[in-house]
Amino acid sequence: MPSKAVTATSVSDNPQEYEAEHVHAVYDEIAPHFSSTRYKPWPIIAQFLSSIPPGWVGLDSGTGNGKYLPLPVERPGSMWTVGLDRSRNLLDIARTAGGVHREVVWGDVLGRPWRDGAFDYAISIATIHHLATHARRKAAVQRLVQCLSHDHGRALIYVWAIEQDELSKRSIPLQAHAEQATQLSANGSGQDVFVPWVLSTQSKPSQKSNPAPAEDQRASNEIASRTVQNAEEAAPKVYNRYYHMFAKGELSELVIEAARESGLHVGSRPTNVGPNKEVPRRGIEIVQDGWERSNYYVELRCWRI
Amino acid sequence: MVRLITHNLLACHVKGCTSNNFPLQFKDVQIELREAEFNPDFLRNFMPRIEWKALVDAARQLGDTSLPEEQPEMVDDEFLQKLHHVLLEVHVEEGAMVCPNCNHSYPISNGIPNMLLAEHEIG
Repeated sequence: MPSKAVTATSVSDNPQEYEAEHVHAVYDEIAPHFSSTRYKPWPIIAQFLSSIPPGWVGLDSGTGNGKYLPLPVERPGSMWTVGLDRSRNLLDIARTAGGVHREVVWGDVLGRPWRDGAFDYAISIATIHHLATHARRKAAVQRLVQCLSHDHGRALIYVWAIEQDELSKRSIPLQAHAEQATQLSANGSGQDVFVPWVLSTQSKPSQKSNPAPAEDQRASNEIASRTVQNAEEAAPKVYNRYYHMFAKGELSELVIEAARESGLHVGSRPTNVGPNKEVPRRGIEIVQDGWERSNYYVELRCWRI
Repeated sequence: MVRLITHNLLACHVKGCTSNNFPLQFKDVQIELREAEFNPDFLRNFMPRIEWKALVDAARQLGDTSLPEEQPEMVDDEFLQKLHHVLLEVHVEEGAMVCPNCNHSYPISNGIPNMLLAEHEIG
């Protein structure tokens, strides 16, 4: 019986190779099965996309199977989200997400294959936590902000949290050590873990087996659902995916650090702007910063004077 | 997919390649035309965001000369239909996009552009 527990890990000296082995290769292997369990958008993300005006064009950086590309469902085609992902096999699924031809690009979240300020909005959902060092996660945030309109760009970033909700606590042994989780969170540095994906060659992916609420969260549901399947199937294969579980406050700190190091002011747009006044000319404002269903999220807006 | 809506956003990101790196030039392309839902509301609002010259030139490279050199001030339905076709119905399935500055070639296969670079190549 393969272990389905989330286990602590430490990143090797070469984070790039480490990600290639423990993130990129895994997603290419598990793409169809993974995709069959990722079909329901999260409320906060759906809400964000519904608030985007018609005519805007956006980037889904780490689009996976492209489940956010068809949104908002209430007015399809009123805006365009381009999906980028590192996994070619997931992109083959994303290119027709929702039964319509989508725009998808094979690329890395650390690249910037866009003209400056190309996008009006961007989302980065369950992606940055796959980068293996703080510096690389920060660079990913910087790349995301760089491709946004300086005047009005908006972004939403979601990452996995150390603080798991009740449902997850039952299925993730790591979280049984609640004390340890609190300590890790308190020092603000997060926790590097492996999250196993158990893939059986005979397994027929079932959408009904994940009653959620944590349908998007990349650990608890598959672990729970696979428990039942594994009982009747022989020799399933386990793929360990690398995750950095974020501590409380770590994501907003990361965004603030990324922005400041890019020369951006962090805070609301100055309102009293006289001709002789020394005020910052470009910045980002964090408009939402929270925890929901085992994830941390930050929403930001760009401004320029 | 590489439709012209996406081509209008892509730029070369090779290290040091920071000027004249947009728009990328199509090379050896295979095209498929597919009908898409017409959404005039999207097009009207999207128009100010388009790099117009890049779009017109790219359309010509793909054999479509329906768009005027300058973006028109008066926008009617006939024009929006043309714009819709150019932006959303012409799919580049195979071929490559080449940087006009450094000549780096980004292949397109099965409709998906490969914009990956080795990390030491990224600026």
